[in-house]
Amino acid sequence: MTRGALLFAFNSPKVDYYAMAEYTAKRINHFLDLPVTIVTDEHSIPKNTTYKFDNVVISKPDKDNKFRDDIWINKGRYQAYEYSPYDETILLDVDYMVNSDRLLQVFDYVKDYACHQNIAQLMIPEGQQEQLSNISFPTLWATVLGFRKTEKTEQLFACMKMIQKNYSHYAALFNFSPDIYRNDFSLTIAHRLINGHHFDKSNILPWNLMHVWLRTNLFVEKKTKYNTKYTVIYDHHKNGKVKKEYITIKDMDFHVINKDVFLELM
Amino acid sequence: MDTKKLVADMKARFEHNSAKHYLKEKYSSKLCVAEQGGYWKADVNTISFLNSLTSKTVVLLDLYDIPVSVNVKKLRDKLQSVYDTVMTEWHKEYKDLETKR
Repeated sequence: MTRGALLFAFNSPKVDYYAMAEYTAKRINHFLDLPVTIVTDEHSIPKNTTYKFDNVVISKPDKDNKFRDDIWINKGRYQAYEYSPYDETILLDVDYMVNSDRLLQVFDYVKDYACHQNIAQLMIPEGQQEQLSNISFPTLWATVLGFRKTEKTEQLFACMKMIQKNYSHYAALFNFSPDIYRNDFSLTIAHRLINGHHFDKSNILPWNLMHVWLRTNLFVEKKTKYNTKYTVIYDHHKNGKVKKEYITIKDMDFHVINKDVFLELM
Repeated sequence: MDTKKLVADMKARFEHNSAKHYLKEKYSSKLCVAEQGGYWKADVNTISFLNSLTSKTVVLLDLYDIPVSVNVKKLRDKLQSVYDTVMTEWHKEYKDLETKR
């Protein structure tokens, strides 16, 4: 039985996702003792890198996910099933900061696949859960997706492929914006479809995904190779004023929404 | 980075509610346990119930509402051990944060 992590990283004009993937891969190696496979394209791989991934899968990026002046090269995630060389895989976003061995427990919960439904937001205790739309259902998060190579998992990824290809149709059906493709939405819908439009909670991890949301900044307490202590500073907007609030955290994984914040931590 | 200076320069205030929330998220997730083919939370209710039983086995609904036949002593010992370890860490970090201003 082989286990490993899988990262997708295609550089955009603004963000060096490959560098983020390398940083995250090193932390996965260190904290989880797992090998890491990267899915990327030749243009993203730097010439002078010394880090060796367990496997490098070269894939053609789909660059048509554009909105205003930005581009998100996040399509094609459904290929994780095909690209993963492992029997059990954790598919992880590269902006997920690994600070502990917490993710190893994901394998305990993966019958076919397992992901987060509920999120918590650092510095925002009263934060709301995301819905696909006001008249729809809660979003599942593709940030952390553990899976085994089973028939049901293969169906899930095949369904995500179908949804990606017909995204406008599903956006109209579930009443969300088709402007930006989101893997979270594909996963949410695919999970329902392959379970006969029934919500099967046995694929949901029983703890929350911690998000570092907007207006929240993180600072490394002491720069070491695998630092796990951070000071979190939050701009609390209230009654037209901004109050600075802070806490300190340690040894906890989190997902950083703002890529600039993640890059500053590297 | 001198984060203490940074916090002082920004005149940032330590937010105890957010710290409590962070601790709850961090440590309550560690109370989840996979054991004997089921998924459990090492909480006071489950441990108390297991402590009250005299039988060797019992059928419990796990976190996913699946009925699982378990060895009472083995599950109780596991949950008690996880509970003790996690709550001790939680308490220690809470005490550290409680003094911050």
